[in-house]
Amino acid sequence: MSLSIAGMSWVTPLGSNVNDVWQRLVAGEAASIEILENEQNGARYLVRRVPATTMAHLPPHARLRRASAISRFAAAAGLAALAEAKTPPSLDRIALVFAISNGGVIYTRRFYAEIVKSGAQSASPLLFPETVFNAPASHLTAILEISGASYTVVGDGAVGILALKLADDLLASEDVDTCLVVAAEEIDSLVCEAYRQWRFLRDPKKPETGRGMIMSEGAGAVLLKRSNDGIEIDQIVPGANFFRRSEASARLGSVVSRLKNGIGFCVGSGNGTFIDRAERAAVGDEMPVYSPKIALGESVGASVFWQLITAAKALEAGTLPGSSKPPVDSHAMVLACGLNQQTGGLTLRRRDCPAFQGST
Amino acid sequence: MNFEVKTSQRVAIVAAGIVSPLGFGLTETLQSLRQARDCVTPVTAFSVEKTRCKTAAQIDDGRLLDKANRSRQDRRLHRASYMVRTALAELLERAREFEPEIAIVGTTSGGMSFGENFYRTLGNGGVCSAALIANYPPQKQIVDAMEKFGINAPAQVIANACASGTNAIGHAFNAIRTGRCQRILAGGYDALSELVFVGFDSLQAATPEKCRPFDSNRSGMVLGEGAALLALEELESARSHGAEILGEITGYGISTDNHHLTQPNPDGSGPRRAMEQALAQAQLEPNQVGYINAHGTATVLNDTAEGKAIAELFGDVPVSSTKSMMGHSLGAAGAIEAVVSLLALQHQFLPPNINFREAELSLNIVANEARDAQFDCAISNSFGFGGTNATIVLRRFAR
Repeated sequence: MSLSIAGMSWVTPLGSNVNDVWQRLVAGEAASIEILENEQNGARYLVRRVPATTMAHLPPHARLRRASAISRFAAAAGLAALAEAKTPPSLDRIALVFAISNGGVIYTRRFYAEIVKSGAQSASPLLFPETVFNAPASHLTAILEISGASYTVVGDGAVGILALKLADDLLASEDVDTCLVVAAEEIDSLVCEAYRQWRFLRDPKKPETGRGMIMSEGAGAVLLKRSNDGIEIDQIVPGANFFRRSEASARLGSVVSRLKNGIGFCVGSGNGTFIDRAERAAVGDEMPVYSPKIALGESVGASVFWQLITAAKALEAGTLPGSSKPPVDSHAMVLACGLNQQTGGLTLRRRDCPAFQGST
Repeated sequence: MNFEVKTSQRVAIVAAGIVSPLGFGLTETLQSLRQARDCVTPVTAFSVEKTRCKTAAQIDDGRLLDKANRSRQDRRLHRASYMVRTALAELLERAREFEPEIAIVGTTSGGMSFGENFYRTLGNGGVCSAALIANYPPQKQIVDAMEKFGINAPAQVIANACASGTNAIGHAFNAIRTGRCQRILAGGYDALSELVFVGFDSLQAATPEKCRPFDSNRSGMVLGEGAALLALEELESARSHGAEILGEITGYGISTDNHHLTQPNPDGSGPRRAMEQALAQAQLEPNQVGYINAHGTATVLNDTAEGKAIAELFGDVPVSSTKSMMGHSLGAAGAIEAVVSLLALQHQFLPPNINFREAELSLNIVANEARDAQFDCAISNSFGFGGTNATIVLRRFAR
């Protein structure tokens, strides 16, 4: 049996309804840009935030009372992906895999700020547990009452591929038959400053230029199971690491060469940095490539899931945002290049697509 | 993507590498375990003037960083990178041809102290070097260590708090067992950092006294640091090229306890489920286990829950927490303790639980001194924040 997507959801700066956000992407809309200011040094950053109204429907839960935005985004996406399943999965045989890059940085910064400002004796025991990478996953297992396997995978912008690979491996064992894979990030000035000093951010004085990325936040979730229907993940290829930016295209090219032929289009991870050129070089000039980061911003750990959902919707709809050529093939590629060495890719296929005939 | 589940693959440990407060390498680690060495010392890496707890088990920087022989690029790396590199160097000395398809490793904080430096520098109006930022993320330490030795495998980094290392080894075991991979580099790493140290201090989970796991007067954990790596390979593949087989992983259990973000359910049900699953996968009865390397943090809550689960499931099987000697190295703990369990199996002895004075639970604690013993199977437990529970089963390799 194949690995199929039984449910999917996202929380983005353009909203959280999968179809609504998809339509807005097709229409060429982009999430609004705000300015975030750093209290420590006065630096300003362009950011795309999840509107407060998007989270208004999140049901209350004791675990979310003190939880940071990242956990709320994750809960909203995870619950919505589960709700999409035609048959509710058995809680005894479901696993959670969580992908994260920056993690709960808002509480981490606050916790450490207290140490620096007032001394260790002032540090809050309420904040510290929320700084741990797997805190959002823990809240989600508690909300969903998952008592089996739960993994948090950390990495750069390609971490989603590694999390999906872990889910794929879990589903190959006899213990698990459904896997909820969730990723989330939250915006904080400390993370923005790190990327600014690393020279990856777009200049706030030049918001319309294509150079440099705009940070964003949100979550993505897919419910995976073993079956042969709907949109299927055909291959997951975690790539080799690059040690210089000039090596990124070769590493991505290696990933592309390991993915099957007959791919109609690529949903990439281009974000206004060196990644754009590396990806284009890897896939060649002919293949249509679209990056949802143009409209939604760079959500780092969550970004692969936004790409995956975009690719799935494109296969369903037979259209790719920003492309005049309709994608006619049954396979789509999601390519991921992080800013800090990691790469990977996957292919999706639509089983009921006319072009699928004869494909195995 | 088609699933062909193979469940009959055996998983061999063909090499290991370790650095911890117990020592550099397997030989020093073995000596320290046999000597019941207490490695806890006053913290030197940052100020502990305003914390309750003042001690930790630390790795000597003079030896770790090998300052005389560092290249310009090396000098940018985090201490945790050196720990991983040290462990990997030892592993590759024993298995020079080992080429993993993937690295599956656990950590909780990667290069955290670089993040702290970044924050402090920013507060002082300074600008950080890009290298400081680039070397902070938790995947960097394993990726850079692999690069040093010409390995370029994807790095799947698991951050399941204090269970990370055991989860990484357990997941790697399952990936080989089910035929998904043949060779995996598995393990964990973490370096001491101010933020984490103060965090456990703020929770009053850390003790200003001696670390006394399972003692009726225990008062909390002492932090540690280190790295350990295992070269795991499908047994027949390992045999086919004449690899030395140090032992086998035969079972893995994972469960999630949704009781509380930082506290285990006092009934011990989460740890018990993880141990039961691991035994079932290894096709073992509890009385076939000869040694339990407990999570044993010496916090009141952990040791009560874990001790209850062990007592109910295993009766008088010998138990020790080696954290009493080397502290709790968080994401590295499961990997380091897997190596400790492997050494115990290879050399047929029970590592001690030092600083032990008075029993609270009816457990067969290996109190204060190592003991010789004959046994074929050991289990190693790791439990963490978020309610993550993980257990692996190790078996002595019978030729």
